[in-house]
Amino acid sequence: MYFKNIYLNFKKYSFLLSQLVLRDFKVKYKRSVLGIIWSLLYPVLNMAVLALVFSRMFKFSTPGVNYLVYVLSGLVMFNYFSEASNLSMSSVVANFSLINKIYIPKYIFFFSKCLFVGINFLLTLIPLYIVIFATGTGINIYHLILPYAYICLFMFTLGFGLILSTISVFLRDMFYIYGIVVTLWTYLTPIMYDISIISEKLQIIFKLNPLYYYITFIREIILYHRMPSGLSFIICGISSLLFLAIGLIVFKKNQDKFIYYV
Amino acid sequence: MIKVNNVSMKFNLGIEKNFSLKQFFIDTLSLKRKKNKKSKSEFWALSDVSFEVEKGEVIGFVGSNGAGKSTLLKVIAGVMKPTKGNVEICGNICPMIELGAGFDMDLTARENIFLNGAVLGYSKDFIEQKFDEIVSFSELQDFLDVPVRNFSSGMVARLAFSIATIVDPEILIVDEILSVGDIAFQQKSETKMRSMIGGGTTVLFVSHSLNQIKSLCDRVVWLDHGKIKKIGPSKEICEEYEKTMLNN
Repeated sequence: MYFKNIYLNFKKYSFLLSQLVLRDFKVKYKRSVLGIIWSLLYPVLNMAVLALVFSRMFKFSTPGVNYLVYVLSGLVMFNYFSEASNLSMSSVVANFSLINKIYIPKYIFFFSKCLFVGINFLLTLIPLYIVIFATGTGINIYHLILPYAYICLFMFTLGFGLILSTISVFLRDMFYIYGIVVTLWTYLTPIMYDISIISEKLQIIFKLNPLYYYITFIREIILYHRMPSGLSFIICGISSLLFLAIGLIVFKKNQDKFIYYV
Repeated sequence: MIKVNNVSMKFNLGIEKNFSLKQFFIDTLSLKRKKNKKSKSEFWALSDVSFEVEKGEVIGFVGSNGAGKSTLLKVIAGVMKPTKGNVEICGNICPMIELGAGFDMDLTARENIFLNGAVLGYSKDFIEQKFDEIVSFSELQDFLDVPVRNFSSGMVARLAFSIATIVDPEILIVDEILSVGDIAFQQKSETKMRSMIGGGTTVLFVSHSLNQIKSLCDRVVWLDHGKIKKIGPSKEICEEYEKTMLNN
């Protein structure tokens, strides 16, 4: 019954969802000359800067595998997370004028943001594959399992975004706090470096980060051409479902109070 | 059709003043005390409001500013959940509480018709089918591909009104929107409203223009400080309301 309601609701608002995602695309590139090409170019340029800084200046390297692919694969995943969670955090607050006037399920707003960034994410896979081929890394049959990690990342981000958007309604300071948190998180996630350069003791802290597992999962396949271990399948699945569940509970419990904090 | 049962609505006026990071931690750390402490700034926007509306009836709401009219409409429209009581509704609702709330100023009029239509719960086929009708009613044919950012406020209101009134809802909630656009468009929008009302739609109508209420409504609900002061035939209530208001 409960799930049937969700499905019916979802069907009813799917057109709105598609309109909101479309709106985001239109607005995002409205006045830029290159338009959607930025979606492809941005992560590549981002990668180039990081690779330049870390491999030339700090002499980072990843023995046996290509450093460019290493950086870009981590970056693509992390960028999705940081952009989607940032946008979904502000989505409820930004749409207050609507929420206050018309009944719309409030999850629509950040779900549309996660989808919008998700489509953008799929576009960034194009430059990733170009780099994979250009550097001679090549592909293998295991690439077919990659969507598993993407789905885990999506669910994790959704859950995390739900928690963030709920907190940010009650506590606007969250926008500033989270900006700092994301910066810190960027450096605590092994994107530019390999986790092996961290001391054993500190590694435990690094491994509490679910993003580490999603990124490792896709690197196992893309860089090392091997099937990720059963354990990493389980950790990825459980961590993402756990965050999604927590997010849903937190959001559901608080969403009726949102309107008082306009 | 619509049954409002003992609806009460509490607002906490102090929320914005007290809320800070410091307060947040103090409140979280002293959960026990928070429960005992009753907020002084509680405000009951509605208290124990009950009434019924039959199908096809046109109900007007009068009352001074802050009497709870808009809050009541929002509760009925499902935007707010009442603190106590409940609302039973059968039929689809078209809330015209604030026009153009769903517009994105960076998009063109054409794109906004689809976006705003989706916000109001229309289907894609429906909007495509009614697109020309919306455009011709708003008289904005020449500005379809102009971003709404460059519209005058009157033009925005015309577009919004045209989108909102294109449906034939079973329940129509109208909050002071008949005075949009220039004189010609006001005339047109009032005619449109009358034809919608004549078509058997149930209408909940808030306005400060007593003449409009008298001519459009069957019954009037008079709200005063969140309570129903009187319900009755529109002429009778309007006259009494006018007298009381002007004497104060």
